[in-house]
Amino acid sequence: MNRIVSALLGGALACAISSVGPYAQEYHEAPALAAEVAAGELPPVEERLPDQPEVIAPYRELGTYGGAIRFGLRGSSDHNHILRLVGPQGLVRWDPAFTDVVPNLAESYEVNADATEFTFHLRAGLKWSDGEPFTADDVMFNVNDLLLNADFAPTPPRYMAGGEPLAAEKIDEQTVRFTFKEPAGSFLYDLAMPLGQHPVFYAKHYCSQYHPAYNADVQSLVTQSGAADWQSLFRQQCGDIEIPARWGNPDRPTMDPWIVSSPYTGGATQVTLERNPYFWQVDTDGNQLPYIDRLTADVSQDVESLILAIIGGNIDFGLRHIDSISNRPVLAENQERGNYHMFAANPGGGQYMTIDLNLTHKDPELRALFNQKDFRIALSLGMNRQEIIDTVLLGQSEPWQLGDFPGSPYYNEQLSTQYLEFDPDQANALLDKLGYERGADGIRTLPSGRKISFKIDVIPTNTPDHVDILGLIEAQWRAIGVEMKVNPLERSFFFDRITVANDHDAAVWPNNGSALVNYPTKLVPLHQDSRWAIAWMQWYESRGANGEEPPQEIKDRLALWEKIRATAVPAEREALYAELNQRAADAFEVLGVAKSITTYGIVNNDLVNVPDEMANSWEWPTPAPVLPQTWFYKTH
Amino acid sequence: MLISYVIRRIIWAVPFLFAASLVAFALITLPPGDYVTTLAQTLAESGDQVDQARLAALRARYGLDQPFIIQYFMWIGGVLQGDFGMSFEWNQPVAQLIWERLGLSFILEFSTLIFAWGVALPVGIYSAVRKYSAGDYVVSVIGFLGLALPNFLIALVLMYVAVVHFGVDVTGLFSPQYRDAPWSWDKFVNLLQHLWIPVIILGTSATAGLMRIMRANLLDELNKPYVVTARAKGLSEWKLILKYPVRLALNPFVSTIGWAFPQLISGAVITAYVLSLPTAGPLMLQALLAQDMYLAGAFILLLCCFSIIGMLVSDILLALVDPRIRFR
Repeated sequence: MNRIVSALLGGALACAISSVGPYAQEYHEAPALAAEVAAGELPPVEERLPDQPEVIAPYRELGTYGGAIRFGLRGSSDHNHILRLVGPQGLVRWDPAFTDVVPNLAESYEVNADATEFTFHLRAGLKWSDGEPFTADDVMFNVNDLLLNADFAPTPPRYMAGGEPLAAEKIDEQTVRFTFKEPAGSFLYDLAMPLGQHPVFYAKHYCSQYHPAYNADVQSLVTQSGAADWQSLFRQQCGDIEIPARWGNPDRPTMDPWIVSSPYTGGATQVTLERNPYFWQVDTDGNQLPYIDRLTADVSQDVESLILAIIGGNIDFGLRHIDSISNRPVLAENQERGNYHMFAANPGGGQYMTIDLNLTHKDPELRALFNQKDFRIALSLGMNRQEIIDTVLLGQSEPWQLGDFPGSPYYNEQLSTQYLEFDPDQANALLDKLGYERGADGIRTLPSGRKISFKIDVIPTNTPDHVDILGLIEAQWRAIGVEMKVNPLERSFFFDRITVANDHDAAVWPNNGSALVNYPTKLVPLHQDSRWAIAWMQWYESRGANGEEPPQEIKDRLALWEKIRATAVPAEREALYAELNQRAADAFEVLGVAKSITTYGIVNNDLVNVPDEMANSWEWPTPAPVLPQTWFYKTH
Repeated sequence: MLISYVIRRIIWAVPFLFAASLVAFALITLPPGDYVTTLAQTLAESGDQVDQARLAALRARYGLDQPFIIQYFMWIGGVLQGDFGMSFEWNQPVAQLIWERLGLSFILEFSTLIFAWGVALPVGIYSAVRKYSAGDYVVSVIGFLGLALPNFLIALVLMYVAVVHFGVDVTGLFSPQYRDAPWSWDKFVNLLQHLWIPVIILGTSATAGLMRIMRANLLDELNKPYVVTARAKGLSEWKLILKYPVRLALNPFVSTIGWAFPQLISGAVITAYVLSLPTAGPLMLQALLAQDMYLAGAFILLLCCFSIIGMLVSDILLALVDPRIRFR
């Protein structure tokens, strides 16, 4: 990441990371495609590839063509699973190590010194999966007619800086420039994430038929299809980044390595994606990628049947849904039977569980109690984190408060490691000093005579381990005279009670990932994950219209965060972040329990080029950045 | 008589359906949150993030920010014109999604019914006629087991044994190569090859129940004077039993036809879920969990319709089978 931002600093520095292979003139293709070319159904591979295809050096070895990767989909809300395997083919993408952004559909890019102008040079001769050329016009269509078109959908904040959306300008057929009013420090990272695909998502020549600006008669298509309006029809036919319909229309042109042939629709029992004959990457020998012919997924409703399919050797790659701690023994035990091995998926930073006490509680007594830093310190010291880790997490983590792991530029020792020791004596002393005397049942009381008792909300179906951890903490806190009750909630109730109503005493949630890409929701009240300060978050989100005005300290931190968002210079950005970390560390608002744990996925023993360890993240959509198009089968 | 009875029943069904649809819709909207919040939560659980601004736009587009009663009339207005609306989750017409699945549901339900009757009738008669024989005890024990074991548990155990010990996958109704293929004779044969597993799993409890009912009803009849008289007059034993007491004992079977109709949708949801069967049940469960209101609402409305039709059909059949029953 430092490298990128240094590149920005250099100003107008072209990054030509992708190089041209030594045998660029001689390309090879999959046998099935060669047969189609011979039959005259498809142009030859040289014409299908761009003028200079991106040359990828596979992770371990050059591959051979053929085979299918079988994975397991669930019947509902699992469309992003497909996205993670196919990969978001944006202007740029993450490198496999999750440290840097590299060019993708853009061959190179330039950024001006104050990070307000981003110029992208598209690869010449890129083609959509139906063979039509991909040009700057497609980018202009995506930006001007959809991204900035309020009729279609509101413009997401990552395409704005200083309250104004970006402006796009076509320099020539292969060049586009995005201009911001104020510095957009994290724009390149945003573009590398799945939600940053907007500028290149839709094929103009196909999708414009559903857009009123290009098809005056769009209404007749709307009526014919039964959709409510053109926006619904557009989404139905051309999808959107994160909806199932993205994988519902086999005719929609894409830039992906595989394209849908059996769509993911409401009644689907099986989803298939076939290779894209126009895919624009080759290996170092000039073989067009992907190596694998197709991706197939059985749609099963139940996670248990997914596990069973893995044991039976019917899944070639799996991580999503199956990587819970409780599944690990059964997956490890059956490696031989199912002919697979396990790979590590590393979260990079964050906590397995955070406890957010509601600092903006509607009940003034609890609010006053929670807002005492010494009370929070006592709770932290009263937690036996090692016991929790040894019993619930099978020893696979370590005590941790907040923040990135050591080695990250955003690491702050105090923020991560303060008050981690289990010291009930010290905790009792702090509570005694605050004047909370123990009652007859051993529970301390507030000055009003009310017992110190509160509930912690948790969603048991989401992370069952959290309920077990809270069970242990309940007993540990009881020993220091604090009564806590575990409050398992159905997820919609959880959401309503906390994010909408602010009725909670406290809540727990996992907080995985590194500050490289994550919003610091535990340091600043930014969005619904800031469950420690919902009323302040609402105030910030509504620009003061709703919620409750936060104290000056929080306002300072919010201002600091906005400054970080707009800063592209790495040293300045890190300095600002360090200040934010330090302020949050001193305030000590949110309690962490244990570090995020590394989970394990499974991969077929014969599938080559899959790393044994990779990041586990949504922003770096596991496993797309390690390029599944370079995986292949080798029989041993 | 019969015609006016049927017409009367159908007219009465209209206000009932209206009330049922209102209650159904209210129940679907009752849980806190809506489709959009549920979607955000589901994705968050898998570690995905959602675009808040786009979600808010979706909510407005689907009218989820409107009061309940307006949403209801938006929906029922369309239904009355034959338009069940679009599924929120899939951006596909609800009608298309439902009919796709109902066909297979029908085949599965019908086969299960045939299986249950085909086994329960003869076995029930046998165990009644040969009361307290060794055979009666054996089928009774099997029957009780079938009643006591939940279907989905049998399914899970069978799936596990099949995968771990035989390396076979017993889920679904088709082999992978036929799943998306158009209908053909081969596909039909493939369906039959897969169908027997869920049919047996689903049929066990129904068979066991019917067997017990048959046995009990028949036992009541067997000792009645008309049976003794017929036997004294020298009627052959099997002809006697099948023609008179069995015919009377059949009434509960006919009543169950009525239940079979709503079972088309709601039957064996959990078993179908576990076995990943492409039938209507799992899709309805999914729609309810996702708060995909138009899809879930259509399912529940159909469920009510099927219940009404099913009850009507079994009332008519009962009257035909048993002349003692009269329409009023």
